[in-house]
Amino acid sequence: MFAATVRLARLALATTALATLATAAPAEELTGTITVWSWTAPADGLEAAVAGFNKLHPGVTVKVEDVGNPAIWDKITAGMAAGGAGLADVLNIGIDYIGNYIETFPTGLVNLSEVGANDLAAQFPSGMWASGSSADGGVYGIPYEVNTSGFFYRKDLFDQAGVDINTIATWDDLLEAGKKIKEATGAPLISMDKAATVADSAGLWQLLTNLQGSFYFNAAGEITMNGPAGLRSLEWIKKANDAGVVADIPGGWDNFMLQIKGQTNVAVIPAASWAAGVFENEAPDMAGKWGLRLPPAVEAGGLTAAISGGTYLSVAGTSPNKQAAWEFVKYAMGTLEGQQATYAGGGMFPGFKPMLESDGFVKKSAYFDAEVNKFFIDELGQNTPTVNYTTDYARALKAYTDAQTQVLLSGADPKTVLDEAAALVAGQTGRTIAN
Amino acid sequence: MTSSKLQPATRRRWRGSSPRLTPYLFLLPVLVLFAGFKVYPYLYAAWLSLTKIIKGQTTFVGLGNYGRLATDPIFYKALSNTLIILITQVPLMLGLALLLAVAFNSALLKFRAFWRTAYFVPIVMGLVAYGILFSTLLNSHHGLVNFLLEAVGLPRVPWLADPVWAKVSIIIALTWHYTGNSAVIYLAQLQSIPGELYEAAEIDGATAWQRFWHITLPGLRPAITLTVVLSTIGTLQLFDEPYVLTNGGPNNATLTIGMYLYQNGFKYFDFGYASAIGYVLTGIIGVIALIQFRFLREKQA
Repeated sequence: MFAATVRLARLALATTALATLATAAPAEELTGTITVWSWTAPADGLEAAVAGFNKLHPGVTVKVEDVGNPAIWDKITAGMAAGGAGLADVLNIGIDYIGNYIETFPTGLVNLSEVGANDLAAQFPSGMWASGSSADGGVYGIPYEVNTSGFFYRKDLFDQAGVDINTIATWDDLLEAGKKIKEATGAPLISMDKAATVADSAGLWQLLTNLQGSFYFNAAGEITMNGPAGLRSLEWIKKANDAGVVADIPGGWDNFMLQIKGQTNVAVIPAASWAAGVFENEAPDMAGKWGLRLPPAVEAGGLTAAISGGTYLSVAGTSPNKQAAWEFVKYAMGTLEGQQATYAGGGMFPGFKPMLESDGFVKKSAYFDAEVNKFFIDELGQNTPTVNYTTDYARALKAYTDAQTQVLLSGADPKTVLDEAAALVAGQTGRTIAN
Repeated sequence: MTSSKLQPATRRRWRGSSPRLTPYLFLLPVLVLFAGFKVYPYLYAAWLSLTKIIKGQTTFVGLGNYGRLATDPIFYKALSNTLIILITQVPLMLGLALLLAVAFNSALLKFRAFWRTAYFVPIVMGLVAYGILFSTLLNSHHGLVNFLLEAVGLPRVPWLADPVWAKVSIIIALTWHYTGNSAVIYLAQLQSIPGELYEAAEIDGATAWQRFWHITLPGLRPAITLTVVLSTIGTLQLFDEPYVLTNGGPNNATLTIGMYLYQNGFKYFDFGYASAIGYVLTGIIGVIALIQFRFLREKQA
């Protein structure tokens, strides 16, 4: 009873707040302070947008806080569970979390479609836009980072082994190349956190499964992780592991740095578009040694593009200054000027179409000796399916990671462990397993 | 100033009219904190454990979460992990603590204060520093422990990446962290055992072992009861060490009930289920603590 009353009161408050927000005259001078929660480079990007925003709204003070990732998820979750207490006004939220926040805390985030966010919809990739919206058309996040797969490879190691990267069309080709590279240079093809005790270690499987147009769940929300695509992905990983070309390197940023700096050799790093800037900034000495291309297809002629996550900017439902918060989001994400400032400051790959088409966005990188952003724009142009994270992504991710650990550490059968993982997720969530 | 006039008057009135109220007034801050930060969360969690969020609405589901728990293979895995750590780590740690306490109390030991402090320091160390320390020491590629093992010709051990060794690592970390604490409790009790008992026993020709068995151990019984019950409760609630060292892995080999509760609440936002896990854990702790108290008390009588 008590909880129900509180919930009703909260709902009523949020509704009134929205009503006033929607009717506020746009010409009215905005004042006050808003805080923005983000982390490291994305926070730098948003910080860079503040100066331009303040030219339009000099009365608003914007404080961008780097609260760290993954700490930000616990902070937001705890705040949401406490009815929105203590949250910042603008929240930078990952695509893997936003669906669950929208559904679990219906008043936690402001429905931005009520303040005109729909006008921006056509300017962003539709799949990415859809994942930040609810089933009934509410818009709860404006895409900030839009990541596609980024396939980085060591030119020097490929050359040393006499393998021409252009001859590699599929992941099976890549595995054969990996064996040659291992023999010629001693370097492993890829690295994985086999025990997955530092972070989840599902990135490669997700990429391979995405490249086959599948994921943990289908569009109807049924479990597909143990379907033919998911199985084929894990079988490839097992083949590579059995061939001895997978190095066991614990996850985490420091170990990623060792690999991009070449202190730990790996021939290939299948990462995402956000990593391109990181390579240039963190490993300048490796210029010319790293190459970038589209990922190989799993099936010859198949997709060579995948959406590899992304983030959104949302406005907290309890923000006392929703209008100013929304204006900031709209400026940073929905104007070319704001996008350019944000991109210059943080380097996160944007989804805003006018930005992608703007002069100078695609330019040659001396580091990779390639037009880096062109790869990512090409990927966005491919017909990649909408990735359905659902509310149960975290559970599916955990169940998959455990299954993969059994395959990599004790040689378990991929089909058996994937079926077990799917059954576990079905039992936890009440979802059905797709045929 | 009016306040200087008012305050003594008020005080006098309290003192005069109801002298029995005063102790409760002193207790009030604690009672308010206890009600706000203990009683209210307990009751709210009890209510939460009977609910599930369905389409954004907190919905009453009766004992549904408890029913789901009864058939959840991961919960049983977490329960068995926790019990395995409990039955190996608690006796190991308390045995070590007992030996340390006897050594600390021995007249033969030089630099006693130094040794006592050295063994007690780990308990003061913060969780994060402690986590970083152990994950660095136990790192399978460039950790100090494996370096030393290799130096003496032993093979490297996948400390945090193998299901069995990961449990061993957790047990080592726990033991390092808490042994000093129990040793200090034993030491305090040891110093309350009258020296005459030992002198009399020595005159009667009792060996050192007989003195330990018949004087030291019985004298320590209250401290042993206390540490057994406290360590058992602490281990059943185990969270910090697996959280910082192994994240519950690999493949749930170090997933404890506390970790599983955290995952359900903060990773899956399933607060109802997490609360149900909390209540089942409370029940388990209650039953085990009751048995231990009864067992140790009967022996005393």
